[in-house]
Amino acid sequence: MINKFKVKSLKLKVFLLFTFYFSLFTFLCACTPQKEKVYRKTKILMDTLVTISVVSNSKGDAEKAIDAAFSEIEKLEKLLNFFSPDSEVSLINKNAGISEVKVSPDTLNILDKALSVSEKTDGAFDVTIGPVITLYDFHKKIRPEENAIKKNLPLVNYKELIITRNKSTAFLKKRGMLIDLGGISKGYAADRAVEILKKRGINSGLVSIAGDIKAFGLKPDGKSWNIGIRNPRAKGQEDDIMATIELKDMAISTSGDYERSFIIGEERYHHLLNPKTGYPAKGFRSVSIITKEGTFTDAFSTGIFVLGPEKGTKVLEAMGFDGIIVDSNGKIYTTPGIKGKVALK
Amino acid sequence: MNSGLKGILNSTTIADRLLLFILILLSSSGVVFVKEILPKGRTVQIEADSLPVYRLPIDEEKTVSVKGPHGNTIVEIKNHKVRIIESPCPNKLCIQQGWIESGAVVCLPNRVVVIIGDIDSKDRKVVDAVT
Repeated sequence: MINKFKVKSLKLKVFLLFTFYFSLFTFLCACTPQKEKVYRKTKILMDTLVTISVVSNSKGDAEKAIDAAFSEIEKLEKLLNFFSPDSEVSLINKNAGISEVKVSPDTLNILDKALSVSEKTDGAFDVTIGPVITLYDFHKKIRPEENAIKKNLPLVNYKELIITRNKSTAFLKKRGMLIDLGGISKGYAADRAVEILKKRGINSGLVSIAGDIKAFGLKPDGKSWNIGIRNPRAKGQEDDIMATIELKDMAISTSGDYERSFIIGEERYHHLLNPKTGYPAKGFRSVSIITKEGTFTDAFSTGIFVLGPEKGTKVLEAMGFDGIIVDSNGKIYTTPGIKGKVALK
Repeated sequence: MNSGLKGILNSTTIADRLLLFILILLSSSGVVFVKEILPKGRTVQIEADSLPVYRLPIDEEKTVSVKGPHGNTIVEIKNHKVRIIESPCPNKLCIQQGWIESGAVVCLPNRVVVIIGDIDSKDRKVVDAVT
């Protein structure tokens, strides 16, 4: 009888123990906070592929934040698109030599920043390049006649783009002048998109608008964002990326002679035109610039590319930016500030 | 049958039952964790006008048609590679890109995006974006 009672009591203890452990297990499963993940969405905006990645523990929150950032980029696209007749940029261009145009704070801000980059690069970056760049057709491989370049070159001068802050206006002094913000708008949009994501409570993410990338925070594994830098002379998929760089709270942009380009004979015609000559700049194959603001990485990568090795590296140093540069012989240079963060392949 | 099962149960000790319970517990917990631990395969994601249309494994040969604003874009998956073989766009730049093993092929005019992704394998160094 005693024995039977002991066995029953033992069974009860074992049962209770099992119940306790099982409850604990299910409780822990339920209470463990949902793991942080990278949520990614892609959209065609600004005539290119825009990918936004965010780190979040909620799919719903992540998607809402990404959609808000996409809306911001869409809004900027409407203001800044060179080809859209209703954009503020087109309005400024149509009124060139006629009247000043009232513009939104975003347009004013981006024009202001563009002019400051023009000053710092001695006009190597110039948003008034429109009358010359429109003479080229990089899809149809059309290069302009020398006379056509000579005729339009006097219309390229950033000093004749007047912005008046207190009136929120922009004015191109000469008829026929055209501003094209293609060399700065994507970087600016990346900055704005990151601001929107942060406002929505996202602490870590990556905004990539073609080659203009802005990273903030860390990935769920605690590592920095890993950015690949394209090989300007890639022959196949294997050597498509020449280096990788780890980024956190930084932006990167690359200007390369391989984008929007064609070759006639031995000559490579690309979109990075020297505003002083109207012809594609020589000296570099690609220039990648790293700093906090995407607006500056975008514009300075173009400006420094156009300036060439001697003057370009001086501006890079003076601005305190980091960079990865491939010269015309294929030699790769990196600035000391990114030592240990770059892996060459 | 019932008496057989009863017999088996009667012939087991408390330790046996404890072991059985632990095994069941471990197996069921595996269902929860295995999804997180195992690497996911590579997939081809096809989007038209910013909306996902297909999500296909890269290791299966397949040719699919995706409708964009200008017409149908034909995407081919073969030998772990992807390419666009037909497109209504004027420049055919997407077709000229040829086969890709990573990254994306985009047809801007027809707003079709083909992305190779989901490489979650721990030992592969993933590039998060390319400049």
